[in-house]
Formats: sequence, C-alpha cells, structure tokens
Amino acid sequence: MKILTEHEAKKLLSKYGIPVTKESIANSPDEAFAIASQIGTPVAMKISSPDISHKSDVGGVVLNVSAHEARSTYDKIISQIKKVAPIARIEGILVQQMALQGHELIVGLKKDAQFGHALMFGLGGIFVEIYKDVSFRVVPIEKREALDMISQIKGYPILKGIRGRKPANIEAIAQVIVSVSQMAEKENIIELDINPLIANETGAVAVDARAMIEN
Amino acid sequence: MLSSIFEPESVAVIGASNNETKWGGRILKNLLSGFAGKIYPVNPKETIVQGLDSFPSVLDIPGMVELAVVVVPYAIVHSIVEECGKKKVKGLVVITAGFGEAGNESGEIELVSIVRKYGMRMIGPNTLGIVNERARLNASIIGRLPKPGYISFITQSGSLGLALAEWTIATEMGLCKVISTGNKAQTDDVDFIEYLSDDPSTGVIAMYVEGIKQGRKFLDAARNISKPIVAIKTGRSKRGAKAVFSHTGSIAGSDEVYSAAFNQAGILRVDTIDELFDAALAFSCQPLPRGNNVAIFSNGGGASIVAADECERQGINITDLTEETREKIRKILPEFASVSNPIDTAGTVSFKIYNDSIKALHNDPNVDAIIVIYVHTMISNAMPPAEAVVEMKQKCDREKGKKPIIACWMGGLGTEEGVDLLKSGCFPNYPVPERAVKALSALIKHREFLEKVKIRKGD
Repeated sequence: MKILTEHEAKKLLSKYGIPVTKESIANSPDEAFAIASQIGTPVAMKISSPDISHKSDVGGVVLNVSAHEARSTYDKIISQIKKVAPIARIEGILVQQMALQGHELIVGLKKDAQFGHALMFGLGGIFVEIYKDVSFRVVPIEKREALDMISQIKGYPILKGIRGRKPANIEAIAQVIVSVSQMAEKENIIELDINPLIANETGAVAVDARAMIEN
Repeated sequence: MLSSIFEPESVAVIGASNNETKWGGRILKNLLSGFAGKIYPVNPKETIVQGLDSFPSVLDIPGMVELAVVVVPYAIVHSIVEECGKKKVKGLVVITAGFGEAGNESGEIELVSIVRKYGMRMIGPNTLGIVNERARLNASIIGRLPKPGYISFITQSGSLGLALAEWTIATEMGLCKVISTGNKAQTDDVDFIEYLSDDPSTGVIAMYVEGIKQGRKFLDAARNISKPIVAIKTGRSKRGAKAVFSHTGSIAGSDEVYSAAFNQAGILRVDTIDELFDAALAFSCQPLPRGNNVAIFSNGGGASIVAADECERQGINITDLTEETREKIRKILPEFASVSNPIDTAGTVSFKIYNDSIKALHNDPNVDAIIVIYVHTMISNAMPPAEAVVEMKQKCDREKGKKPIIACWMGGLGTEEGVDLLKSGCFPNYPVPERAVKALSALIKHREFLEKVKIRKGD
C-alpha cells in the first residue's frame, strides 16, 4: 500500500487525460520564484511530503502568493513543517496555479471487496461529508452512465446554472468520471479523492487529489 | 445441472429417520407428501423407514439416484458424499452444518473437492433444503408445499428464510421454487438466477441476501436476465474505520455500493420484507406498464389522497385523463363525485360503477396503470367492486395492450370475501394504499431497467 502525494496523484490523473492545475515542485526559494513566475501569479504553495496528507492542518498551505513573496513563503513553510512535524520527509514545496472559479465537486474511487471498485460523484469541498449529495456506480461505466450519475444528485440544478450562477461544463465532468472509471483497476487504486474538482463553463480541473494505491 | 436437483426422477434421503421431529425424518415425510418419483431412505440402523425399505448405504440402492439429500452428522458427511459420487448421484442437497459458517473452511473445501471430483452439483452445505412446487418436491424442512405460483424465492438466511417461506404459504401466496442457499460452497446466487431465468415456471425472483460471493459475475448474470429480480439486502454495515483516508472511503459504505451495483444490474432493491413480497406478487400476476402515468379510482377521498401522496414520493405521475374519459366517467358517477384523477365516487359503490369506470380508464391512452381502491363501510359491500375488477381484468387480458390494475381493499373485517375473490382472480390485494403504490412502482422500475440496464438478447 502506498499513499501518493498530491503532486503524484495529479500526475496519475494527467496520465488519463484529466486536467489538473498547473504546478511544479520547488526545492529552493529560487525555484519557487521561477515556477511562480512561469505559472503566473498569484499561486498557492503547499508542502509536499509523503508523511503529511492533511497539509493545511499543519500550516503547510499558503494561498494567494505573489511572485516576490514566493521565496520568503518557501522558507516560511519549511520552517513551520520542521517545527510541527520534524520527522516528516520533505520532498519540496508544490507551487501551484491558484484555484479557478467554479463549482466545487468531488470524484472518488473506493476499492470494494464484492464488486471491484465503487465510483463516487457529488458536490465537493469541505462540507462533502455533511451534505453527502453524492451518487455511486460500480466501475467500469460509460459516458451515458456518467451523465446519469451527474444528473442524479440533488445539486444538479445548481450545476445547470441557477440564479445567475454560471453553469458547469457537464460534458467535461462526465469525461473526468469516465477517465477515473478507467484508471480504477489499471492503477490498483484502493482509494482516490479528487476534491475539489472545479468545474466552470469551459471545463473541469482537478485542484486537489489524494490517492492510496496497491504496490 | 441444477435440474437434477430441482427436477429429479429419484431422491435418496441419507440420514432418513422414523422420528419426524428429526430433520432426517421431517424431510423424508415432506418428500413423501407430494413427490411422485422414487424415494429411497438411507439409514444403516433401520430396515423400514416411514413405511419404505431402508438401505444401509446409497451404494446399496438398486436403481439410479439422481438427487441425494444429505442429513448426516458432520463426522461422516465427507465419506457419505464420496459414496454418492461413486453411485453417480447427480445432485446433492447437503443439510449437514459445521462448515465455513462455523469457521471450518478446510472441511468445506474438502467437501467441494469431492463434489467436483465426481462432477456433481451441490446446494449447501448448511442449507435448509429446496422446494420445487411444480414437481411437488419438498426436499426441505419447510412444513408443507406452497400453493402454485410464479415467484421463486432464494434465501440466504436459514431461520428467517424458513419463516418467510412458511409465511408465504400461510398467506397462500403462490411460490414456484424455494432455495435455501446455505454456505454457497459450490453453487451460489449466480447459478440460481441463471437456472431460474431459464425455468419456464418462474416469473419473478425474490431474494433475501446477506452477502454476494462473486460480485461482478453476479451483476453480469443479473443484467442478462429479463425476469424481474427483487432483493432485500440486509446488514447495512457500518462505515469504514474511524481513520479514513479519503472522503470517498468514508461515504462509500458497503451498503451504498450494494445499492449502486444492484441498480446497475437491474435488481430492484427493497428495504422491507413487506416490499419484497408485495413487489414479487405484483410481478407474478400483473403486466408491466408502458409508462409511469397512473389513474387512481376510489370510493373514498382520503384513501385516494394517501395513494396520490405515495405516488408523488415514488415519482409516479397522476395523469390527466382525456376529456373523453372524463365525459364517460361523468355519466357513470353521481353528480357530486370527482371526475378528475384521482377519481372519487363520493362513497357510491356498485358493480356497474367500478366496472364501467375502470373500463373507461383502461381505454384512456393517457393511463398506463390503474390503482383501484375500495374502502369498506358498514353500508357498502366489498363483493360487487371485487367482481367488477376481476371481470374487467379477464376482459382486458384478452385484449392487446393490457395495463396493470393494482387493488387495495381496505378495512379488513367484512372485506374477506371480496379479497378472496380478488386473489382467485390473480389480483394482489394490498391492505393499504402505500403498499399498492410501492408495488406498482416496482413494476414501473423494472420496465425502466428493461429499457436502460438489461442486456437485450440479440442486440
């Protein structure tokens, strides 16, 4: 069993054609500055460690960082982590395109003893376990079923755009769901969360992801 | 072949007893009460068992033995099954317990390997047996044969399954096959639903499920079967451990996954035992509706509102009737009655009112299904409307495009005669409107499964 870092999980998603935020690992303050300048600021900076999965809980996440703040933010996060989690292995700092505007969704997988893999779709973000507005399928599924899954949640009218809120690109979300369905067995996924998957009119992008895979 | 188990020409009961309070005695008695084929008791300590010559071993039986019911102590079960193999027995029902269910996995593996070695098929071990009403075969400890019907019931629980089977008999619900799966060591749900799918006397499969052994295979098999499968899945298990890695892991408990999987395979999952048999009953004697537009007809406003509310919850549309139908009904009903759907006769009950109205509704192109309610009062008689419904159905059955009619005769005391008539006319009667609506909802869902989920032959 292996837990992937956010960056590793997103590389996996990219392999299946799922759009992810522009990002790269910095190993020095200068690299952080260079990456931030290249991606375009502001950026988000996050600790990358195989030992830390709840990054914001340990003060490992800083948002809205400008290019000239990138170097100092790098040092700040490293010293914070060394203080609160001295034995954690640090791979560097993930410098990432700031989250896009749009609907916060979740797409996830869970290995199931009886049926293979269960795939979950729903409204995402931090309240996902409170609202539990989700739908399930056993994989593999095709696009038609993915669309059905999307339309099944209570929040579907929100995704279609209500009260002046812009709609989400349903086709793009369905494509992400189908891609996740395809990776379940090939990548030996035990659990996977794409949360949030941010969807707006133009597309859907995996902004944060976590994965546990079998070796 | 499972047909050797369900449709054997000859049966041996190994461990047969004269004592009818023992399982080996009870099962032999049950077989003797209906089965027309050869029956051989096997018991080395007796010469005559329940009036039949007893044999010391299955190998001593002169003729062929197609099915053996094994009711022997665990200590000798493996050698007994070995003997069955040598005798070229084709099917086994192994009642003996003490295998996987008691943590004895190796004993179960050994049993299966013997069964395989001789190319036999086995139900069990740890099963309460099987019933095939069509063959008058009761190779189980279920008290008596059920009434003939189209429902086949697969049950995983021993005692609950037994109680349910007995209860369906008591309510005179017609059953075709009853299968107590036991430990599913060599045959499991996949084999059973495949067999029942090809069984011409089974119209609907009802299942009591605690766990599925080969999940994917089971879903594929179910998807390939066009007959309705209604299942109750118990053991709504706890969510995963406290320290859960992902949100998906936390929310996707096994119960959610079961629901999703059943839906994808076109298995109708119900929550209660009532719903399981209510739905099975509707499938066993009503056609599927073309769509989800219902007409509700009642002699009482309250009951029709209850029905309409449940329709709303189940996503069933209370349809607008055509002007032509309303005009017809206006002429049938008293002036003060409601002629728009739900239709309320304002208390008036007669053969003619029920018969003519239901006929008008059946002919309405906007109507896919009809719920007919009769609310019993001191001044009304439950018989004439029941006669009207039964006659209507007989007429409609001869026509094309017949529609389901679900009956709800309310009140209990005083309605017995009417309810019996409905039953004999193959009308499932539901004592309250919600149950009638849920049963109709099952028919509608299965129609949707056939369109969306089920793999159509020849596609």
